[in-house]
Amino acid sequence: MSFALGLLPVLLLVAGFPIYLVLLTSCTVALMFFMNVPLSVMHQTLFGSIDAFALLAVPFFIYAGELMGRGSVAQRLVDVVQTGIGRVPGSLGVTTVGTAAIFGAISGVSAATVATIGRIMVPAMLRQRYPEHFAAGLITSVGAIDIIIPPSVPMIVYGVAAQESVPRLYAAGIFPGLLIAAMLALYVMWYARRNGIPDGPAFEARRFFLALRRGIWALGAPVIILGGIYGGVFSPTEAAAVACVYAALVTRLVYREVSWREILDAAGSTVVFTAQILIVVACASVFAWLLTVNQVPAVLVRAIEGMQLSPWMILLALNVLLLVVGCFIDPLSAILILTPLLVPVITAAGIHPVHFGIVLTVNLAIGLFHPPFGINIFVAQSVLGLKLPVIYRGILPFLVLYLIALALITYIPAISLAGMRLFF
Amino acid sequence: MSIAWKVEHAFDRLMRMTVITLGVLLIAAVCLNFVNVIGRYAFGKALFGADEIQTYSMVWMAFAGAVVVTWRNAHLRMDVLVARAPPWLKAALRFGELILMAATAGIVFVQSWKYAAQMAAMGRASDAAGIPMAIPHSAVAVGFGLIALIALWRMSRPAAPLDAAITETPS
Repeated sequence: MSFALGLLPVLLLVAGFPIYLVLLTSCTVALMFFMNVPLSVMHQTLFGSIDAFALLAVPFFIYAGELMGRGSVAQRLVDVVQTGIGRVPGSLGVTTVGTAAIFGAISGVSAATVATIGRIMVPAMLRQRYPEHFAAGLITSVGAIDIIIPPSVPMIVYGVAAQESVPRLYAAGIFPGLLIAAMLALYVMWYARRNGIPDGPAFEARRFFLALRRGIWALGAPVIILGGIYGGVFSPTEAAAVACVYAALVTRLVYREVSWREILDAAGSTVVFTAQILIVVACASVFAWLLTVNQVPAVLVRAIEGMQLSPWMILLALNVLLLVVGCFIDPLSAILILTPLLVPVITAAGIHPVHFGIVLTVNLAIGLFHPPFGINIFVAQSVLGLKLPVIYRGILPFLVLYLIALALITYIPAISLAGMRLFF
Repeated sequence: MSIAWKVEHAFDRLMRMTVITLGVLLIAAVCLNFVNVIGRYAFGKALFGADEIQTYSMVWMAFAGAVVVTWRNAHLRMDVLVARAPPWLKAALRFGELILMAATAGIVFVQSWKYAAQMAAMGRASDAAGIPMAIPHSAVAVGFGLIALIALWRMSRPAAPLDAAITETPS
Protein backbone atom coordinates (compact mmCIF):
# COMPACT_ATOMS: atom_id res chain seq x y z
CA MET A 1 0.00 0.00 0.00
CA SER A 2 2.87 2.39 0.76
CA PHE A 3 3.92 1.91 -2.87
CA ALA A 4 0.50 2.96 -4.21
CA LEU A 5 -0.08 5.87 -1.83
CA GLY A 6 3.53 6.93 -1.20
CA LEU A 7 6.18 6.02 -3.75
CA LEU A 8 4.05 5.94 -6.92
CA PRO A 9 2.52 9.43 -6.56
CA VAL A 10 5.94 10.94 -5.79
CA LEU A 11 7.48 9.26 -8.85
CA LEU A 12 4.67 10.36 -11.16
CA LEU A 13 4.72 13.89 -9.72
CA VAL A 14 8.47 14.22 -10.30
CA ALA A 15 7.98 12.83 -13.82
CA GLY A 16 5.78 15.84 -14.54
CA PHE A 17 2.50 13.99 -15.04
CA PRO A 18 -0.72 15.99 -14.59
CA ILE A 19 -1.60 16.14 -10.90
CA TYR A 20 -5.08 14.71 -11.40
CA LEU A 21 -3.52 11.75 -13.24
CA VAL A 22 -0.95 11.23 -10.47
CA LEU A 23 -3.76 10.99 -7.91
CA LEU A 24 -6.10 8.93 -10.09
CA THR A 25 -3.40 6.42 -11.05
CA SER A 26 -2.33 5.97 -7.42
CA CYS A 27 -5.95 5.42 -6.37
CA THR A 28 -6.61 2.96 -9.19
CA VAL A 29 -3.49 0.95 -8.35
CA ALA A 30 -4.37 0.96 -4.63
CA LEU A 31 -7.95 -0.17 -5.26
CA MET A 32 -7.11 -2.80 -7.88
CA PHE A 33 -4.05 -4.41 -6.32
CA PHE A 34 -3.99 -3.64 -2.60
CA MET A 35 -7.58 -3.32 -1.41
CA ASN A 36 -10.73 -5.38 -1.49
CA VAL A 37 -13.12 -2.54 -2.30
CA PRO A 38 -15.39 -2.27 -5.37
CA LEU A 39 -14.04 0.11 -8.02
CA SER A 40 -17.40 1.88 -8.10
CA VAL A 41 -16.21 3.75 -4.99
CA MET A 42 -14.07 5.83 -7.36
CA HIS A 43 -17.12 7.09 -9.21
CA GLN A 44 -19.03 7.77 -6.00
CA THR A 45 -16.17 9.80 -4.51
CA LEU A 46 -15.34 11.65 -7.74
CA PHE A 47 -18.97 12.68 -8.14
CA GLY A 48 -19.62 13.32 -4.45
CA SER A 49 -16.62 15.65 -4.09
CA ILE A 50 -17.89 18.03 -6.81
CA ASP A 51 -21.54 17.70 -5.80
CA ALA A 52 -20.96 20.39 -3.15
CA PHE A 53 -22.78 23.73 -3.18
CA ALA A 54 -19.90 25.53 -1.39
CA LEU A 55 -17.57 24.77 -4.31
CA LEU A 56 -19.74 26.85 -6.65
CA ALA A 57 -18.01 29.91 -5.18
CA VAL A 58 -14.85 28.87 -7.08
CA PRO A 59 -16.19 29.38 -10.66
CA PHE A 60 -18.30 32.35 -9.54
CA PHE A 61 -15.41 34.29 -7.97
CA ILE A 62 -13.12 33.47 -10.91
CA TYR A 63 -15.82 34.73 -13.29
CA ALA A 64 -16.32 37.98 -11.34
CA GLY A 65 -12.54 38.63 -11.41
CA GLU A 66 -12.37 37.72 -15.11
CA LEU A 67 -15.11 40.25 -15.94
CA MET A 68 -13.63 43.01 -13.76
CA GLY A 69 -10.19 42.48 -15.32
CA ARG A 70 -11.47 43.04 -18.88
CA GLY A 71 -12.46 46.70 -18.71
CA SER A 72 -10.79 49.73 -17.18
CA VAL A 73 -11.65 48.74 -13.60
CA ALA A 74 -7.98 48.35 -12.62
CA GLN A 75 -7.08 51.79 -14.03
CA ARG A 76 -9.98 53.40 -12.16
CA LEU A 77 -8.88 51.74 -8.90
CA VAL A 78 -5.31 52.94 -9.47
CA ASP A 79 -6.56 56.51 -9.97
CA VAL A 80 -8.59 56.43 -6.74
CA VAL A 81 -5.69 55.08 -4.67
CA GLN A 82 -3.09 57.37 -6.26
CA THR A 83 -5.07 60.58 -5.84
CA GLY A 84 -6.09 59.46 -2.35
CA ILE A 85 -2.65 58.87 -0.88
CA GLY A 86 -1.18 62.20 -2.05
CA ARG A 87 2.45 63.18 -1.48
CA VAL A 88 4.09 60.22 0.18
CA PRO A 89 7.54 58.80 -0.65
CA GLY A 90 7.24 56.21 -3.43
CA SER A 91 3.62 57.06 -4.08
CA LEU A 92 3.47 54.93 -7.25
CA GLY A 93 4.81 51.90 -5.38
CA VAL A 94 2.38 52.47 -2.53
CA THR A 95 -0.41 52.85 -5.11
CA THR A 96 0.59 49.47 -6.58
CA VAL A 97 0.28 47.84 -3.15
CA GLY A 98 -3.03 49.56 -2.36
CA THR A 99 -4.58 48.76 -5.72
CA ALA A 100 -3.48 45.11 -5.50
CA ALA A 101 -5.09 44.85 -2.05
CA ILE A 102 -8.39 46.29 -3.33
CA PHE A 103 -8.25 44.18 -6.50
CA GLY A 104 -7.60 41.19 -4.23
CA ALA A 105 -10.92 41.88 -2.56
CA ILE A 106 -12.59 41.44 -5.96
CA SER A 107 -10.70 38.72 -7.77
CA GLY A 108 -9.01 36.05 -5.64
CA VAL A 109 -6.71 34.95 -8.49
CA SER A 110 -3.11 36.09 -8.02
CA ALA A 111 -1.75 35.86 -11.57
CA ALA A 112 -4.63 38.04 -12.83
CA THR A 113 -3.59 40.80 -10.40
CA VAL A 114 0.04 40.72 -11.50
CA ALA A 115 -0.99 40.98 -15.15
CA THR A 116 -3.78 43.54 -14.75
CA ILE A 117 -2.14 45.91 -12.24
CA GLY A 118 1.34 45.31 -13.65
CA ARG A 119 0.37 46.49 -17.15
CA ILE A 120 -0.57 49.87 -15.66
CA MET A 121 1.89 50.34 -12.81
CA VAL A 122 5.20 48.92 -14.08
CA PRO A 123 5.53 51.33 -17.07
CA ALA A 124 4.42 54.21 -14.80
CA MET A 125 7.05 53.31 -12.15
CA LEU A 126 9.79 53.02 -14.79
CA ARG A 127 8.87 56.47 -16.14
CA GLN A 128 9.21 57.84 -12.58
CA ARG A 129 12.81 56.49 -12.38
CA TYR A 130 12.07 53.51 -10.14
CA PRO A 131 14.82 50.91 -10.71
CA GLU A 132 13.55 48.15 -13.02
CA HIS A 133 14.43 45.35 -10.56
CA PHE A 134 12.47 47.10 -7.80
CA ALA A 135 9.35 47.53 -9.97
CA ALA A 136 9.68 43.91 -11.13
CA GLY A 137 10.06 42.58 -7.58
CA LEU A 138 7.17 44.66 -6.26
CA ILE A 139 4.64 43.68 -8.93
CA THR A 140 5.62 40.00 -8.88
CA SER A 141 5.31 39.71 -5.11
CA VAL A 142 2.34 42.01 -4.50
CA GLY A 143 -0.02 39.67 -6.40
CA ALA A 144 0.36 37.10 -3.64
CA ILE A 145 -1.73 39.31 -1.33
CA ASP A 146 -4.64 38.44 -3.58
CA ILE A 147 -5.07 34.91 -2.25
CA ILE A 148 -4.73 36.04 1.38
CA ILE A 149 -7.26 38.89 1.28
CA PRO A 150 -10.77 37.46 0.82
CA PRO A 151 -12.29 36.32 -1.47
CA SER A 152 -9.65 33.69 -2.04
CA VAL A 153 -10.03 30.60 -4.19
CA PRO A 154 -7.37 28.62 -2.22
CA MET A 155 -9.27 29.33 1.01
CA ILE A 156 -12.48 27.92 -0.49
CA VAL A 157 -10.58 24.79 -1.49
CA TYR A 158 -8.98 24.52 1.99
CA GLY A 159 -12.40 25.03 3.58
CA VAL A 160 -13.84 22.17 1.55
CA ALA A 161 -10.83 19.87 2.12
CA ALA A 162 -10.62 20.59 5.88
CA GLN A 163 -14.39 20.85 6.34
CA GLU A 164 -13.89 24.33 7.79
CA SER A 165 -16.19 27.33 7.38
CA VAL A 166 -15.20 29.49 4.40
CA PRO A 167 -16.62 32.75 5.89
CA ARG A 168 -14.53 32.15 9.04
CA LEU A 169 -11.44 31.61 6.88
CA TYR A 170 -12.21 34.75 4.91
CA ALA A 171 -12.57 36.77 8.10
CA ALA A 172 -9.28 35.35 9.37
CA GLY A 173 -7.50 36.38 6.15
CA ILE A 174 -8.32 40.09 6.43
CA PHE A 175 -5.74 41.18 9.04
CA PRO A 176 -2.86 39.03 7.69
CA GLY A 177 -3.54 40.44 4.21
CA LEU A 178 -3.59 44.01 5.52
CA LEU A 179 -0.46 43.35 7.61
CA ILE A 180 1.45 42.23 4.52
CA ALA A 181 0.12 45.17 2.49
CA ALA A 182 1.21 47.59 5.25
CA MET A 183 4.69 46.03 5.47
CA LEU A 184 5.13 46.25 1.69
CA ALA A 185 3.93 49.88 1.63
CA LEU A 186 6.31 50.88 4.45
CA TYR A 187 9.22 49.18 2.70
CA VAL A 188 8.36 50.98 -0.57
CA MET A 189 8.30 54.33 1.25
CA TRP A 190 11.63 53.65 2.96
CA TYR A 191 13.21 52.51 -0.32
CA ALA A 192 11.92 55.53 -2.21
CA ARG A 193 13.21 57.97 0.41
CA ARG A 194 16.62 56.26 0.48
CA ASN A 195 17.00 56.18 -3.31
CA GLY A 196 15.76 59.68 -4.07
CA ILE A 197 12.66 58.58 -5.97
CA PRO A 198 10.43 61.64 -6.36
CA ASP A 199 7.27 61.89 -4.22
CA GLY A 200 3.89 61.90 -5.90
CA PRO A 201 1.76 65.03 -6.38
CA ALA A 202 0.18 66.56 -3.28
CA PHE A 203 -3.35 65.53 -2.32
CA GLU A 204 -5.99 67.57 -4.13
CA ALA A 205 -9.57 67.06 -3.04
CA ARG A 206 -10.89 67.91 -6.53
CA ARG A 207 -8.72 65.29 -8.27
CA PHE A 208 -9.54 62.70 -5.63
CA PHE A 209 -13.28 63.17 -5.86
CA LEU A 210 -13.09 63.11 -9.65
CA ALA A 211 -11.23 59.78 -9.51
CA LEU A 212 -13.65 58.53 -6.88
CA ARG A 213 -16.60 59.39 -9.10
CA ARG A 214 -15.02 57.49 -12.01
CA GLY A 215 -14.11 54.53 -9.78
CA ILE A 216 -17.08 54.34 -7.47
CA TRP A 217 -18.68 51.42 -9.33
CA ALA A 218 -15.41 49.48 -9.30
CA LEU A 219 -15.07 50.07 -5.55
CA GLY A 220 -18.59 48.75 -5.10
CA ALA A 221 -17.56 45.17 -5.88
CA PRO A 222 -15.48 44.51 -2.73
CA VAL A 223 -18.11 46.34 -0.67
CA ILE A 224 -20.83 44.02 -1.97
CA ILE A 225 -18.72 40.85 -1.58
CA LEU A 226 -17.28 41.48 1.89
CA GLY A 227 -20.19 43.52 3.21
CA GLY A 228 -22.62 40.88 1.99
CA ILE A 229 -20.76 38.00 3.61
CA TYR A 230 -19.99 39.68 6.95
CA GLY A 231 -23.30 41.49 7.11
CA GLY A 232 -24.91 38.06 7.07
CA VAL A 233 -26.75 38.90 3.84
CA PHE A 234 -25.16 36.26 1.59
CA SER A 235 -23.27 33.02 1.84
CA PRO A 236 -19.86 33.16 0.04
CA THR A 237 -21.40 31.36 -2.96
CA GLU A 238 -24.25 33.86 -3.18
CA ALA A 239 -21.85 36.79 -2.71
CA ALA A 240 -19.81 35.41 -5.61
CA ALA A 241 -22.90 35.14 -7.84
CA VAL A 242 -24.00 38.67 -6.94
CA ALA A 243 -20.44 39.87 -7.68
CA CYS A 244 -20.65 38.24 -11.15
CA VAL A 245 -23.93 40.00 -11.98
CA TYR A 246 -22.57 43.27 -10.59
CA ALA A 247 -19.33 42.94 -12.61
CA ALA A 248 -21.26 42.14 -15.80
CA LEU A 249 -23.61 45.10 -15.33
CA VAL A 250 -20.81 47.55 -14.44
CA THR A 251 -18.48 46.58 -17.30
CA ARG A 252 -21.28 46.20 -19.89
CA LEU A 253 -23.88 48.82 -19.00
CA VAL A 254 -22.13 51.43 -16.83
CA TYR A 255 -18.60 51.59 -18.30
CA ARG A 256 -19.72 50.19 -21.71
CA GLU A 257 -16.32 48.54 -22.24
CA VAL A 258 -17.28 44.87 -22.57
CA SER A 259 -19.59 43.41 -25.21
CA TRP A 260 -22.10 40.59 -24.59
CA ARG A 261 -19.79 38.38 -26.66
CA GLU A 262 -16.91 39.15 -24.28
CA ILE A 263 -19.11 38.28 -21.31
CA LEU A 264 -19.65 34.85 -22.88
CA ASP A 265 -15.92 34.57 -23.71
CA ALA A 266 -15.09 35.34 -20.08
CA ALA A 267 -17.49 32.56 -19.04
CA GLY A 268 -15.67 30.17 -21.40
CA SER A 269 -12.25 31.09 -19.93
CA THR A 270 -13.67 30.69 -16.43
CA VAL A 271 -14.99 27.22 -17.20
CA VAL A 272 -11.56 26.08 -18.40
CA PHE A 273 -9.86 27.54 -15.29
CA THR A 274 -12.51 25.94 -13.11
CA ALA A 275 -12.10 22.53 -14.73
CA GLN A 276 -8.33 22.71 -14.17
CA ILE A 277 -9.03 23.10 -10.45
CA LEU A 278 -12.05 20.87 -9.96
CA ILE A 279 -10.64 17.80 -11.70
CA VAL A 280 -7.80 17.93 -9.15
CA VAL A 281 -10.34 18.46 -6.34
CA ALA A 282 -12.26 15.37 -7.49
CA CYS A 283 -9.22 13.09 -7.78
CA ALA A 284 -7.70 14.42 -4.55
CA SER A 285 -10.91 13.47 -2.76
CA VAL A 286 -10.50 9.84 -3.79
CA PHE A 287 -6.86 10.00 -2.67
CA ALA A 288 -7.84 11.59 0.66
CA TRP A 289 -10.52 8.92 1.19
CA LEU A 290 -7.93 6.18 0.60
CA LEU A 291 -5.49 7.83 3.02
CA THR A 292 -8.21 7.99 5.67
CA VAL A 293 -9.47 4.41 5.32
CA ASN A 294 -5.85 3.22 5.45
CA GLN A 295 -5.38 5.31 8.62
CA VAL A 296 -2.40 7.23 7.21
CA PRO A 297 -3.28 10.55 8.96
CA ALA A 298 -3.79 8.68 12.27
CA VAL A 299 -0.38 7.00 11.95
CA LEU A 300 1.18 10.37 11.14
CA VAL A 301 -0.46 11.97 14.18
CA ARG A 302 0.80 9.17 16.46
CA ALA A 303 4.33 9.47 15.03
CA ILE A 304 4.42 13.24 15.58
CA GLU A 305 2.89 12.90 19.04
CA GLY A 306 5.63 10.36 19.79
CA MET A 307 8.26 12.99 19.00
CA GLN A 308 6.69 15.22 21.69
CA LEU A 309 7.16 18.36 19.62
CA SER A 310 5.71 21.60 20.91
CA PRO A 311 3.11 23.35 18.69
CA TRP A 312 5.59 26.06 17.67
CA MET A 313 8.10 23.43 16.52
CA ILE A 314 5.37 21.65 14.55
CA LEU A 315 4.45 24.96 12.93
CA LEU A 316 8.11 25.66 12.14
CA ALA A 317 8.50 22.23 10.53
CA LEU A 318 5.26 22.66 8.59
CA ASN A 319 6.33 26.12 7.40
CA VAL A 320 9.57 24.71 6.02
CA LEU A 321 7.67 21.85 4.36
CA LEU A 322 5.04 24.17 2.87
CA LEU A 323 7.60 26.68 1.58
CA VAL A 324 9.47 23.90 -0.21
CA VAL A 325 6.24 22.38 -1.57
CA GLY A 326 5.01 25.83 -2.63
CA CYS A 327 8.12 26.28 -4.80
CA PHE A 328 7.18 23.30 -6.94
CA ILE A 329 3.41 22.72 -6.79
CA ASP A 330 0.59 25.22 -7.37
CA PRO A 331 -1.26 26.24 -4.18
CA LEU A 332 -4.55 24.50 -4.96
CA SER A 333 -3.00 21.11 -5.67
CA ALA A 334 -0.76 21.45 -2.61
CA ILE A 335 -3.76 22.25 -0.39
CA LEU A 336 -5.72 19.28 -1.72
CA ILE A 337 -2.85 16.84 -1.28
CA LEU A 338 -1.61 18.06 2.11
CA THR A 339 -4.76 19.11 3.98
CA PRO A 340 -6.06 15.59 4.76
CA LEU A 341 -2.62 14.71 6.15
CA LEU A 342 -1.83 17.89 8.05
CA VAL A 343 -5.16 18.92 9.59
CA PRO A 344 -5.29 15.90 11.95
CA VAL A 345 -1.69 16.64 12.98
CA ILE A 346 -2.29 20.30 13.78
CA THR A 347 -5.62 19.60 15.47
CA ALA A 348 -3.94 17.04 17.73
CA ALA A 349 -1.28 19.65 18.56
CA GLY A 350 -3.98 22.14 19.61
CA ILE A 351 -3.52 24.50 16.65
CA HIS A 352 -6.75 26.09 15.40
CA PRO A 353 -7.62 24.81 11.88
CA VAL A 354 -8.60 28.33 10.78
CA HIS A 355 -5.24 29.72 11.95
CA PHE A 356 -3.50 26.87 10.15
CA GLY A 357 -5.54 27.57 7.01
CA ILE A 358 -4.16 31.11 6.95
CA VAL A 359 -0.59 29.92 7.64
CA LEU A 360 -0.98 27.40 4.80
CA THR A 361 -2.33 30.06 2.44
CA VAL A 362 0.46 32.55 3.25
CA ASN A 363 3.11 29.85 2.71
CA LEU A 364 1.65 28.88 -0.64
CA ALA A 365 1.20 32.56 -1.56
CA ILE A 366 4.96 32.97 -1.10
CA GLY A 367 5.41 29.99 -3.43
CA LEU A 368 3.57 31.98 -6.12
CA PHE A 369 6.54 34.37 -6.51
CA HIS A 370 9.35 32.37 -4.92
CA PRO A 371 12.33 31.90 -7.26
CA PRO A 372 12.94 29.97 -9.37
CA PHE A 373 9.50 28.64 -10.38
CA GLY A 374 6.77 30.85 -8.88
CA ILE A 375 3.97 31.30 -11.42
CA ASN A 376 3.83 35.09 -10.90
CA ILE A 377 7.46 35.33 -12.05
CA PHE A 378 6.50 33.85 -15.39
CA VAL A 379 3.40 36.04 -15.66
CA ALA A 380 5.59 39.12 -15.06
CA GLN A 381 8.07 37.82 -17.62
CA SER A 382 5.55 37.04 -20.36
CA VAL A 383 2.91 39.73 -19.86
CA LEU A 384 5.12 42.61 -18.71
CA GLY A 385 8.22 41.73 -20.74
CA LEU A 386 10.53 41.79 -17.70
CA LYS A 387 13.76 39.76 -17.76
CA LEU A 388 14.13 36.81 -15.38
CA PRO A 389 17.44 37.91 -13.73
CA VAL A 390 15.91 41.36 -13.12
CA ILE A 391 12.82 39.81 -11.51
CA TYR A 392 14.89 37.42 -9.36
CA ARG A 393 17.05 40.29 -8.12
CA GLY A 394 14.03 42.43 -7.35
CA ILE A 395 12.09 39.74 -5.51
CA LEU A 396 14.61 39.06 -2.72
CA PRO A 397 13.77 41.99 -0.35
CA PHE A 398 10.06 41.33 -0.80
CA LEU A 399 10.61 37.64 -0.09
CA VAL A 400 12.29 38.60 3.20
CA LEU A 401 9.30 40.83 4.08
CA TYR A 402 6.83 38.03 3.36
CA LEU A 403 8.88 35.61 5.49
CA ILE A 404 8.82 38.07 8.41
CA ALA A 405 5.06 38.43 7.95
CA LEU A 406 4.73 34.64 7.81
CA ALA A 407 6.62 34.31 11.10
CA LEU A 408 4.33 36.91 12.73
CA ILE A 409 1.18 35.25 11.37
CA THR A 410 2.40 31.80 12.41
CA TYR A 411 3.42 32.65 15.97
CA ILE A 412 0.82 35.29 16.79
CA PRO A 413 -2.44 33.39 16.08
CA ALA A 414 -4.40 36.47 17.17
CA ILE A 415 -3.50 38.18 13.86
CA SER A 416 -5.66 35.60 12.08
CA LEU A 417 -8.14 34.68 14.77
CA ALA A 418 -8.98 38.29 15.71
CA GLY A 419 -10.67 38.79 12.34
CA MET A 420 -12.62 35.57 12.77
CA ARG A 421 -13.73 36.51 16.30
CA LEU A 422 -14.66 40.00 15.17
CA PHE A 423 -17.24 38.70 12.71
CA PHE A 424 -18.31 35.37 14.24
CA MET B 1 -7.50 16.41 -46.38
CA SER B 2 -6.15 13.42 -44.41
CA ILE B 3 -8.20 11.43 -41.90
CA ALA B 4 -5.88 12.70 -39.15
CA TRP B 5 -6.65 16.30 -40.10
CA LYS B 6 -10.38 15.58 -40.11
CA VAL B 7 -10.24 13.95 -36.68
CA GLU B 8 -8.20 16.86 -35.27
CA HIS B 9 -10.67 19.29 -36.80
CA ALA B 10 -13.63 17.37 -35.33
CA PHE B 11 -12.03 17.38 -31.86
CA ASP B 12 -11.33 21.13 -32.20
CA ARG B 13 -14.95 21.84 -33.06
CA LEU B 14 -16.17 19.63 -30.22
CA MET B 15 -13.95 21.52 -27.76
CA ARG B 16 -15.17 24.91 -28.99
CA MET B 17 -18.78 23.77 -28.67
CA THR B 18 -18.09 22.37 -25.20
CA VAL B 19 -16.55 25.64 -23.98
CA ILE B 20 -19.49 27.67 -25.31
CA THR B 21 -22.07 25.27 -23.85
CA LEU B 22 -20.36 25.19 -20.45
CA GLY B 23 -19.96 28.98 -20.54
CA VAL B 24 -23.70 29.36 -21.08
CA LEU B 25 -24.28 26.84 -18.27
CA LEU B 26 -22.08 28.96 -15.96
CA ILE B 27 -23.99 32.13 -16.82
CA ALA B 28 -27.27 30.28 -16.24
CA ALA B 29 -26.05 29.06 -12.83
CA VAL B 30 -25.02 32.62 -11.87
CA CYS B 31 -28.41 33.99 -12.94
CA LEU B 32 -30.27 31.25 -11.09
CA ASN B 33 -28.32 31.96 -7.92
CA PHE B 34 -28.90 35.70 -8.28
CA VAL B 35 -32.63 35.24 -8.88
CA ASN B 36 -32.77 33.03 -5.81
CA VAL B 37 -31.12 35.73 -3.65
CA ILE B 38 -33.48 38.41 -4.98
CA GLY B 39 -36.46 36.09 -4.54
CA ARG B 40 -35.53 35.35 -0.96
CA TYR B 41 -35.08 39.00 0.06
CA ALA B 42 -37.72 40.67 -2.10
CA PHE B 43 -40.50 38.09 -2.10
CA GLY B 44 -39.57 35.78 0.78
CA LYS B 45 -39.46 32.83 -1.63
CA ALA B 46 -36.64 30.78 -3.12
CA LEU B 47 -36.70 28.63 -6.25
CA PHE B 48 -37.14 25.02 -5.17
CA GLY B 49 -34.28 22.86 -6.46
CA ALA B 50 -32.15 25.79 -7.69
CA ASP B 51 -29.17 24.61 -5.61
CA GLU B 52 -29.34 21.17 -7.21
CA ILE B 53 -29.45 22.58 -10.75
CA GLN B 54 -26.43 24.81 -10.06
CA THR B 55 -24.42 22.05 -8.42
CA TYR B 56 -25.10 19.59 -11.23
CA SER B 57 -24.12 22.28 -13.75
CA MET B 58 -20.81 22.55 -11.91
CA VAL B 59 -20.37 18.76 -12.08
CA TRP B 60 -20.65 19.01 -15.87
CA MET B 61 -18.28 22.02 -15.89
CA ALA B 62 -15.71 20.01 -13.95
CA PHE B 63 -15.74 16.78 -15.95
CA ALA B 64 -16.63 18.04 -19.46
CA GLY B 65 -14.32 21.02 -18.87
CA ALA B 66 -11.52 18.58 -18.01
CA VAL B 67 -11.84 17.19 -21.54
CA VAL B 68 -11.08 20.66 -22.97
CA VAL B 69 -8.17 21.03 -20.53
CA THR B 70 -6.85 17.64 -21.69
CA TRP B 71 -7.21 18.58 -25.37
CA ARG B 72 -5.34 21.86 -24.73
CA ASN B 73 -2.70 20.00 -22.68
CA ALA B 74 -3.31 22.52 -19.90
CA HIS B 75 -3.63 20.34 -16.79
CA LEU B 76 -1.90 21.51 -13.61
CA ARG B 77 1.38 19.65 -13.25
CA MET B 78 4.78 19.99 -11.63
CA ASP B 79 6.96 20.01 -14.74
CA VAL B 80 9.91 22.07 -13.55
CA LEU B 81 12.24 19.07 -13.40
CA VAL B 82 11.08 17.45 -16.64
CA ALA B 83 11.48 20.76 -18.49
CA ARG B 84 15.26 20.27 -18.24
CA ALA B 85 15.21 16.64 -19.40
CA PRO B 86 16.60 15.60 -22.82
CA PRO B 87 14.05 15.42 -25.67
CA TRP B 88 14.04 11.61 -25.83
CA LEU B 89 13.15 11.38 -22.12
CA LYS B 90 10.42 14.00 -22.51
CA ALA B 91 8.93 12.02 -25.43
CA ALA B 92 9.08 8.76 -23.46
CA LEU B 93 7.42 10.35 -20.42
CA ARG B 94 4.76 11.91 -22.63
CA PHE B 95 3.97 8.50 -24.14
CA GLY B 96 3.87 6.92 -20.67
CA GLU B 97 1.50 9.67 -19.56
CA LEU B 98 -0.84 8.93 -22.47
CA ILE B 99 -0.86 5.21 -21.67
CA LEU B 100 -1.72 5.89 -18.01
CA MET B 101 -4.32 8.46 -19.05
CA ALA B 102 -6.04 6.05 -21.44
CA ALA B 103 -5.95 3.22 -18.88
CA THR B 104 -7.14 5.09 -15.77
CA ALA B 105 -9.68 7.25 -17.61
CA GLY B 106 -10.93 4.09 -19.32
CA ILE B 107 -11.41 2.33 -15.97
CA VAL B 108 -13.25 5.32 -14.50
CA PHE B 109 -15.38 5.56 -17.66
CA VAL B 110 -16.52 1.91 -17.32
CA GLN B 111 -17.34 2.31 -13.61
CA SER B 112 -19.14 5.63 -14.08
CA TRP B 113 -21.08 4.41 -17.10
CA LYS B 114 -22.34 1.39 -15.11
CA TYR B 115 -23.32 3.67 -12.22
CA ALA B 116 -25.16 6.16 -14.44
CA ALA B 117 -26.92 3.27 -16.23
CA GLN B 118 -28.02 1.89 -12.85
CA MET B 119 -29.39 5.30 -11.91
CA ALA B 120 -31.31 5.43 -15.19
CA ALA B 121 -32.61 1.88 -14.74
CA MET B 122 -33.82 2.62 -11.21
CA GLY B 123 -35.40 5.89 -12.36
CA ARG B 124 -33.72 7.82 -9.53
CA ALA B 125 -34.36 11.56 -9.52
CA SER B 126 -32.96 14.37 -7.35
CA ASP B 127 -34.91 15.26 -4.20
CA ALA B 128 -35.86 18.86 -4.95
CA ALA B 129 -35.64 19.55 -8.68
CA GLY B 130 -36.60 16.04 -9.78
CA ILE B 131 -33.67 15.84 -12.20
CA PRO B 132 -32.96 12.25 -13.33
CA MET B 133 -29.77 11.36 -11.45
CA ALA B 134 -28.38 9.65 -14.55
CA ILE B 135 -27.79 13.14 -16.01
CA PRO B 136 -25.31 14.49 -13.42
CA HIS B 137 -23.70 11.06 -12.90
CA SER B 138 -23.12 10.61 -16.63
CA ALA B 139 -20.91 13.74 -16.60
CA VAL B 140 -18.14 11.66 -15.00
CA ALA B 141 -18.50 8.94 -17.63
CA VAL B 142 -18.64 11.37 -20.55
CA GLY B 143 -15.66 13.35 -19.23
CA PHE B 144 -13.36 10.41 -18.59
CA GLY B 145 -14.56 8.59 -21.73
CA LEU B 146 -13.53 11.52 -23.91
CA ILE B 147 -10.25 11.94 -22.01
CA ALA B 148 -9.47 8.26 -22.73
CA LEU B 149 -10.37 8.81 -26.38
CA ILE B 150 -8.07 11.84 -26.65
CA ALA B 151 -5.24 9.86 -25.03
CA LEU B 152 -5.75 6.95 -27.46
CA TRP B 153 -5.84 9.34 -30.42
CA ARG B 154 -2.61 11.02 -29.35
CA MET B 155 -0.95 7.64 -28.71
CA SER B 156 -1.70 6.75 -32.31
CA ARG B 157 0.21 9.83 -33.46
CA PRO B 158 3.36 9.93 -31.32
CA ALA B 159 5.23 12.05 -33.88
CA ALA B 160 2.58 14.77 -33.93
CA PRO B 161 3.59 18.00 -32.15
CA LEU B 162 2.04 18.67 -28.76
CA ASP B 163 -0.70 21.24 -28.65
CA ALA B 164 0.42 24.60 -27.42
CA ALA B 165 -0.01 24.39 -23.69
CA ILE B 166 -2.01 27.12 -22.05
CA THR B 167 0.17 28.71 -19.44
CA GLU B 168 -2.44 30.41 -17.30
CA THR B 169 -3.03 28.76 -13.98
CA PRO B 170 -5.85 29.60 -11.68
CA SER B 171 -3.87 30.48 -8.65
